[in-house]
Amino acid sequence: MNRTRAFLKKTAWSLFTIIFVIILNFFLFRVLPGDPARAGIRDPRLKKEAIEMLRVRFGLDKPVINCFESLNPIEVGSCAINPLDTQFFIYVRNLMQGELGISYHTNRPVADILAERLWNTVLLIGAGQILSIVFGVVFGIFAAWKARTSVDYAAVTTSLIAWSLPTFWLGIILLFWGSTHGFPLAGKATPGMSSMPLLQQWGDIARHMFLPTLTYTIVYMGEYTLIMRSSLMDVLSEDYILTAKAKGLSTFQILKDHALKNAMLPLVTVIAINLGFTVAGAIQIEAVFSWPGLGSAIYEAVVRRDFPILQGAFLLIAVAVILANLIADLTYNFLDPRVQTE
Amino acid sequence: MQTTLSPSTPQAKTAKTASRLQGFWHVFRKNRTGLIGLGMLATILFTAIFAPVIAPYDSSSTSSAGISDIYNPPSAEHWLGTDDAGQDVFSNFIFGARVSLTVGFFAAFISIIIGGVFGLVAGFFGGRWENFLMRFTDIFLVIPDLPLMVVIVALTKPSLLNIIFVIGLLGWTTTARVVRSQTLAVKSKKFVLRARAIGAGKGHIVTRHILPLVMPILVVQAVLVVSLAILNESALSFLGLGDPTALSWGQMLNYAFGRGAMSTGAWWALVVPGFGIVWVVLGLTLLGQGLEKVLNPRLETHHLMPGRSPVQNEADLDVPGKGALLEVQNLSINYVNDGQPPARAVENISFTLKEGELVGLVGESGCGKTTLMLALLRLLPAAGQIVNGNVFFGGKDLVSLSDDELNDIRWSGISIIFQGAMNALNPVRPVDEQISEVIIKHLPSFPKERMQGRVIELLELVGIAADHKDHYPHQYSGGMRQRAMIAMALACNPQVVIADEPTTALDVMIQAQILELLDSLRKKLGLAVIFVTHDLGVVAEMCDRVLVMYGGVIAEYASVDVIYNDPKHPYTQELLKAFPDLTKPKKKLSSIPGYPPRLEALPAGCRFAPRCPSVFDRCHTEQPALHILADEHKVSCHLVEALK
Repeated sequence: MNRTRAFLKKTAWSLFTIIFVIILNFFLFRVLPGDPARAGIRDPRLKKEAIEMLRVRFGLDKPVINCFESLNPIEVGSCAINPLDTQFFIYVRNLMQGELGISYHTNRPVADILAERLWNTVLLIGAGQILSIVFGVVFGIFAAWKARTSVDYAAVTTSLIAWSLPTFWLGIILLFWGSTHGFPLAGKATPGMSSMPLLQQWGDIARHMFLPTLTYTIVYMGEYTLIMRSSLMDVLSEDYILTAKAKGLSTFQILKDHALKNAMLPLVTVIAINLGFTVAGAIQIEAVFSWPGLGSAIYEAVVRRDFPILQGAFLLIAVAVILANLIADLTYNFLDPRVQTE
Repeated sequence: MQTTLSPSTPQAKTAKTASRLQGFWHVFRKNRTGLIGLGMLATILFTAIFAPVIAPYDSSSTSSAGISDIYNPPSAEHWLGTDDAGQDVFSNFIFGARVSLTVGFFAAFISIIIGGVFGLVAGFFGGRWENFLMRFTDIFLVIPDLPLMVVIVALTKPSLLNIIFVIGLLGWTTTARVVRSQTLAVKSKKFVLRARAIGAGKGHIVTRHILPLVMPILVVQAVLVVSLAILNESALSFLGLGDPTALSWGQMLNYAFGRGAMSTGAWWALVVPGFGIVWVVLGLTLLGQGLEKVLNPRLETHHLMPGRSPVQNEADLDVPGKGALLEVQNLSINYVNDGQPPARAVENISFTLKEGELVGLVGESGCGKTTLMLALLRLLPAAGQIVNGNVFFGGKDLVSLSDDELNDIRWSGISIIFQGAMNALNPVRPVDEQISEVIIKHLPSFPKERMQGRVIELLELVGIAADHKDHYPHQYSGGMRQRAMIAMALACNPQVVIADEPTTALDVMIQAQILELLDSLRKKLGLAVIFVTHDLGVVAEMCDRVLVMYGGVIAEYASVDVIYNDPKHPYTQELLKAFPDLTKPKKKLSSIPGYPPRLEALPAGCRFAPRCPSVFDRCHTEQPALHILADEHKVSCHLVEALK
């Protein structure tokens, strides 16, 4: 009963946050000084009529929103504009239909472009997250178990240095190193690979993924190591660990049966909170390695002032992070028996 | 904290602040991590401030650059080579420090102000304000920072000012949360409540009472926020959103990476600026860690750290007496901390436990009772060390056994009922698992299919219904948890059970139930029990013999009749006076003034001398020997010498 209520409450809150992001996203691109109409179509050689045509084509000729005369958003006010005809409601309506506009640069639907890219980013973040969590947890366990020994000091120092590395810079350094060791320098696959057998294609993708994933793993591993260490230190100084020791259990049994689950629970929350930072890392890594994901889509859109892509990518990333947060939150409730029954 | 009224003249106030800072520095000085961080930060600040003096070339000396100057490797002329525009990388690096640090510090300043105000207001005023501000914070906490920064900077002009504002306006969320929780913690402190009660204004309370206590945490947070701001600036610049006229380290990397440093092999143009970012961020991180440790000192120890190995002394081995199940001989335990003299927590304790016997161990808190019990199974914290003595059990000396051999005896031979079973049970595992675990460990041949039956039997033995067996500890009441702990202690049919204040945290009815249960189980199962307690009533009712401890040594050791009817040690006598005796209704209760001695300041003579009503000169200089009177009655007091 209580669990269902908590579930509904959290879901509702995430939904509210998503709506906030949708509104924020719309107004960012209308209120800030860089008018997309001028910025995107600013070629001085274009004639006035041509610019007007483009404005109509991208829907920029419509008013941003209605006259703000009443709280009812779809009431026609004295400015005599049908609110459903304003840019905001067109934007919302299109969003409902999964339309995110048309790229200024390629003239293709933004949704299609992003859909191609999304999975590459998910692949990169997924692999990187799994590896950095696994290594971080393992190193964290050793650091806590061997607290105040050279193992611990080495793990903590390495983690602090890894945490201080700018992601893109580490990527550049690894790319520099990789370029002299036969690693592919850019992209996800070697051209012409699609005609090869599936296994070979995967091998090729794995080779392309190696350096970006390594960068990702190093940068985030340090943080997970530190968090796991301090969480496990807390657990290991609890009374029930003394009980377990008095029971005659071996160190390995105590760690496995009495400490790890307890210490991993806070990590779930941290992983969720970190997802936002994670995306920041992915953008930088994709920009360095030209990995065809959302991050490099953002990078290219910035260079080309392709605002619809930028707008769509931000929205997609924000919604994905909010949903992932929600999932992590609900997972935590599921894992911790203390939450279930309270 | 400071609660006394202090003179509020400006001089006095600055003096107070100065002395507080001095005190802080005194502690911080010993923190190596923090000092290294501070040093790293100081060098880079120095470099940035004196950039025009240090840099060999002016920051804008491009006029003379030709094609041949581009990406020259390090040389005598250009220590760190030249970049894509033929400029000296070393000079650009030094001037870049100015830009990166400026952005970092100003952006962090904005974040800290916003986060600090939000946190203070939410924490102090609570209610609707708190609700609104924290919800607002939650929203911004989940929106990914960097993409939003990219969007905003891309839509506005990429100037230094814009970047500072964007990073500053988006980086306040964690600060708000941290400050709010600290404000909440501070708000309920006594002197704040008192200030409110005497009608101090809200502004006064916030600025004079709350802010000073929130400040330290705000400083640690600020250090972190600065490092994040510098990382964010470099990422934005690298992505091509930096101010093209202000050559920050990120901007240098953007130019080098985008303009062929990689293909020319000009590693210096790529490595140097990144090194600057790592240097500053690492310095700030170390400084933050150091500050955190000073402000929030934590004992970095836990139960799995290898303890100090016991000192072996084979010389004075006595063969354990006949009929003794457990025999402790001359056991001494020190707490050893680096840089301090060892604290003598337990000294020279000997006692025996016979089959089926119940020995009571009494004494005030801090007399070494728990330390002694933990030492029997070598469960002392990492700082504890057995420095002398033996513990014989089943023909073996537990002090000299290997860890594996000891693990076999733990719980199957001697088990412990810990005080406060609230935390002694693992909160995330069901109770039946925690019981069956020891059976699997110590009785590997026990048939699996009978396991559930055995667990139910054990739980029913202590009065817990079978359908509660797979519940989690938090679903149990305090008394049930204590009884589950007892069931667990009995699971492997041990010969000895140590009960360390098993009823302290419970109400009187439950206490009585549990004691009755323990006593009946002892009679039924023939257990020998060591019962640690403050409660002399319980001792009188249940125990066969009593060991009275004071300040880590034996005060008196005798049968329960002797202890109650003919106590010889003044401490035992005083303890009994502090305890109601129903047979003499008009007797007045008295307490012993003072406290047990602190371990780091033990008296030179008898440890009870400072509080003893019968004290005389010799007591202050000479530690009394353990005198043996009749019937195994032992007393450590100069007064009994005459009686021998």
